Amino acid sequence: MVTPDLASEDNIAKLIIPDDLPDEPSFKAYIEAKVYDKEGHVIQYHRQPMRSLTQYFLALMSIPIIGTYQGPSTNQATGPLTNTLSLPSEVGAYGTGSANISWNFSILLGSGTQTFSPTLTSLAAPIANGSGAGQLSYGSVLATYSGTTIYIYVTVINYSSTTINVTEIGLSATVYIQYNASGNNYASSQYNYLMSYDTFSQHITLLPGAIATFKIALTFSG
Amino acid sequence: MMIGKTVDDVNVRMPEDTHDTGKHIPTFNAYLVVVVRDSRGNIVKVHRQRSHSPTANFIGLFLPIAYFTSNNVSYTITNVTSGTCVYQPNNTSGAQDISYPNTATNKQTYLVMIQVGSGQQSNPYTATALAAPIANGSGAGQLVYKSAVLPQSISINGNTAYFYVTQSFNNISGGTVTITEVGLLLQVQLTNYNATSTTNCGQVLVWYDVLSSPISVPNAGSVTIYYTFTVNP
Repeated sequence: MVTPDLASEDNIAKLIIPDDLPDEPSFKAYIEAKVYDKEGHVIQYHRQPMRSLTQYFLALMSIPIIGTYQGPSTNQATGPLTNTLSLPSEVGAYGTGSANISWNFSILLGSGTQTFSPTLTSLAAPIANGSGAGQLSYGSVLATYSGTTIYIYVTVINYSSTTINVTEIGLSATVYIQYNASGNNYASSQYNYLMSYDTFSQHITLLPGAIATFKIALTFSG
Repeated sequence: MMIGKTVDDVNVRMPEDTHDTGKHIPTFNAYLVVVVRDSRGNIVKVHRQRSHSPTANFIGLFLPIAYFTSNNVSYTITNVTSGTCVYQPNNTSGAQDISYPNTATNKQTYLVMIQVGSGQQSNPYTATALAAPIANGSGAGQLVYKSAVLPQSISINGNTAYFYVTQSFNNISGGTVTITEVGLLLQVQLTNYNATSTTNCGQVLVWYDVLSSPISVPNAGSVTIYYTFTVNP
């Protein structure tokens, strides 16, 4: 029993993020890196918990929870989409046309470090895609899932002649909104977000010619 | 070298050394708060528990395009009446993406309600509907559903970011109504890429929890449910 005058609306609002419940996480995530030498032998293996999701992860995750519309009779996008992801409240469309939204994930690697903030938008020092000094050649991003776990992978190759140390990693999302612009003409806009940011507890070293696979696993407890 | 073999080597179970235990802080959490009021509006019970249960539908709807393209697959969404539809987002003709607000033709994808029920089921992940939904009404065993309230943005407090949805229910049934399960129902409409055709997937259960203890709502009283989703709590 709760005494009525001890629980005002303000008090209730403070209850929405309880800090006194048993530690039974709803979610677990980890990052994994495997480095291979030129002969394909694993020469470094590293795995650590992933800790730092940004507000953009939460905003994107809101789509399969609360949808894209504010309600059944409005044509306005939800607050997390417009106010956090800065997506349009509604896009222009023509005649009987309509609009749709989709998204993809990728893995970003960097050679810097920075203090985490839920509003971070980029790595401190992203490693560019290429074969020049300090660059890595990124393969296609793969994704799969098993039960409540989603896995995202990317393989990179160091074609440069110098050693590259990977010190930071992020999960990013590209959101696509497509709409019927005129007649049978369709247009698409895309938006990029940093969904997580972590620094490696020990850097990942890629010697010249080395290949590395980075994996991010997101497990909703189910 | 056989990189492909390594990529395919999916760990089905989370490694023990990456569990968020002890001093580790989970990166994401969901909470369920239930506030019960009596006929005079006084709060008589506050129930709080962790929410653990996204459904398979949620996972399917959250998957990135890469899953569908790299595996050349679609995902079958099952709605509350056991109807199904094919979800296959992409940026190519024929793909089925989630509808988005626009100035022409709209087929809304939106949160229908926080639904409450008087049953329970043991595997929330595979749940596609509440076990025993409590109907909207004033008859025996029913509750009057008010509208769900959506977040206006993601709120930030230090490194914590969160949003919550809430909904209230009034009991004018003439007797006590007991709630044992809660779920979030999403109306899903898919729009074909490069086309005007749409698919109505119906109402889809995306989140489901059995309450750790039943909640009794007295006659003439009300109950308000808060679902909170937070990162870095």
